Amino acid sequence: MTVTPATAGPEVASREVSLELIGLTRRFGPVVALDGLTFSVPPGEVFGFLGPNGAGKTTTMRAIFGVVAVDGGEVRWRGQPVTEEARHRFGYMPEERGLYPGMQILDQLEYLGRLHDMTASAARAAARGWIGRLGLAGRESAKLEALSHGNQQRVQLAAALMHDPELLVLDEPFAGLDPGGVDDMTEILAERARAGVTVLFSSHQLDLVEHICEAVAIIHRGRVVAQGAVADLERGDRPRLVVRVAGAPAGEWARRLDPRIATVERVDAAGTALLALTPDADSQRVLDAARAAGAVEHFSFATRRLSEVFRDVTGEEA
Amino acid sequence: MRSGMHRRWLRLTAIVAEREIRQRGRSRAFAVSTVVLLLVVAAGVAIPAILASHAKPQRVGVVGAPVAGMTEVVREAGHLTDTGVTVVPEPSVASAEAALRSGDLDVVLVNDTEVVVKQVSLSGSSGSGGSLPSAIAAVAGLTKLVGQLPPGATTSGVTLPVRGLTPPSASLSRRLTGLFTVVLVWILISAYGSQIAMGVGEEKSNRIVEVILASVRPLQLLVGKVTGIGVLALAQAALMVATFLGVGAAVGSSLVHGAAPGIVITGAVFLVLGYAFYCTAFAAAGSLVSRQSDVGTVILPVQIPLILAYALSYTVIYANGASTFYRVLGFLPPTAPVAMPVLYAAGDVPAWQAAVSAVLLAVGTVWMARTAATIYERSILRTGSRVRLRQVLGRAPVS
Repeated sequence: MTVTPATAGPEVASREVSLELIGLTRRFGPVVALDGLTFSVPPGEVFGFLGPNGAGKTTTMRAIFGVVAVDGGEVRWRGQPVTEEARHRFGYMPEERGLYPGMQILDQLEYLGRLHDMTASAARAAARGWIGRLGLAGRESAKLEALSHGNQQRVQLAAALMHDPELLVLDEPFAGLDPGGVDDMTEILAERARAGVTVLFSSHQLDLVEHICEAVAIIHRGRVVAQGAVADLERGDRPRLVVRVAGAPAGEWARRLDPRIATVERVDAAGTALLALTPDADSQRVLDAARAAGAVEHFSFATRRLSEVFRDVTGEEA
Repeated sequence: MRSGMHRRWLRLTAIVAEREIRQRGRSRAFAVSTVVLLLVVAAGVAIPAILASHAKPQRVGVVGAPVAGMTEVVREAGHLTDTGVTVVPEPSVASAEAALRSGDLDVVLVNDTEVVVKQVSLSGSSGSGGSLPSAIAAVAGLTKLVGQLPPGATTSGVTLPVRGLTPPSASLSRRLTGLFTVVLVWILISAYGSQIAMGVGEEKSNRIVEVILASVRPLQLLVGKVTGIGVLALAQAALMVATFLGVGAAVGSSLVHGAAPGIVITGAVFLVLGYAFYCTAFAAAGSLVSRQSDVGTVILPVQIPLILAYALSYTVIYANGASTFYRVLGFLPPTAPVAMPVLYAAGDVPAWQAAVSAVLLAVGTVWMARTAATIYERSILRTGSRVRLRQVLGRAPVS
């Protein structure tokens, strides 16, 4: 299991890059789906792709596979424009899941493997392997429609993994999964990343993304509005303090602070103040000011949740 | 490099085709439809032949004298052809012909001069009373010859002439073989065409198309699908033709006599070209819908030309000479697959005209395949409401 490293560096741009999306634009009639979208994904890590509904996530993923043609911009893989051959080494799990309901799952996976340049026998072996790995052993000849919803999702994941892809793109892979399914999915994504695979997935479940991803890109209206290591985004550019002083419900003491030390972001109804420290300011000077105003009931550093970052940059809830 | 890409393109397309053949070929629906169609063909060939061998008694009118001698001739002819006969003396040729026209009589023997029937068939071996008039003519002719021998009179032939009241036409068996061809072309194109549309609609509505199109291009999926289903359609057609010929030969059906090589070849050519013309159109229609239940609505316009040609084909089969309108249909690519085999089988067009029609159909097929591929590529990933043709065929598509 990969955990978010607290020390991930801020130099995203200088890291090794495998997938690059450069200035993608796409219009659907009057709707601008992609508006100069640019970001890159390094190999060997799980990369989250976030944005409100309609931000252009699915269009971006489809563009990677050439399923949607872009009006402008380019998708590059390992420094080269994506070719048909390269695409056959990509794995894709679309948001709108789809397989043949009436086809046996082993046949179905074999077929999809062969469409990715596998021989029939290699595809069959890989299909059996994934069916076993995903806990579906014994159901090889079952038709997809005979499986439970969760198991159909597992088959869909197997379809994306069959040919051992170098790039794995998953659109909302956690949607509709039960907690066990979420754990399995998390483990598989982390394991693929450790094996050197570039993993890009979109999600609305920001707590999951926080937990799984090293880095994310957040898009809004077809443009990237924030990107970088999760830890950097959560820390933000200024450390923040949460302080509550008894008998000071309006937090007047905080408003008297020297703005060169800290500024008030907000004060809630209970009088808890959220303060943004200026860089290099000493937090103990804030504590002194608080104690001078009354009994300090609470004093801590705040970290922003990814969901707050998301709300800040998109103006919408995830 | 280029040929390598070409091979790769074909290989992926073949994998798509192979899946269609395997999945559909082993489905219960395919097995059941094959068995039912073969039974229908076998029954269609065998039942008329079996009924014909127990032909209903024929009413034979005789004109002239002596009635006893002519009755003897008719009885002998009935015996030879294993047909029950009833002899009806008629006062004059005119009254006999009137009875023939009204259907009161089947055959008329005019003493020593001729045999009259309602219509002479070219092969002389078809349908009701087809062989009885010939036998009567032969026996009567022989009788006349024997009677004339002592005076040493010359004879122009051993059999009397057989005259039809209405002009002769292509034999009924030829026409019926043409009908068989038309039914086959119609059934296969509409049945497999709707399967194509349903299959495309299914792939689009359950979104597997997005998974597949991540590794193959839309054109490969389209070509693979129609080829795979086409192979199954041809296999089923070949089985039906084999059954038609096999059962026909076994029961000695007159239908099979009409299966001249020309008709069979024309039927096969128009079946293949007709399928090729329509298969991509059906696929394009299927790609317009978002729900599989809407497929029926979008394929109806595709089927209308076929329905028209099929419905009107009966007028050609049961009439003498096709209308100008139907001849025109025989050259228009959408209706030619059904209309031209009928026209050719009925003897209404010469072989070269069938060949011209086939070339026009082949050209039309290329045009249709390009248009349909464009529609398919532009609409296969569009979800939501049904895609309008105007949206995908405009100059600036917004897919």
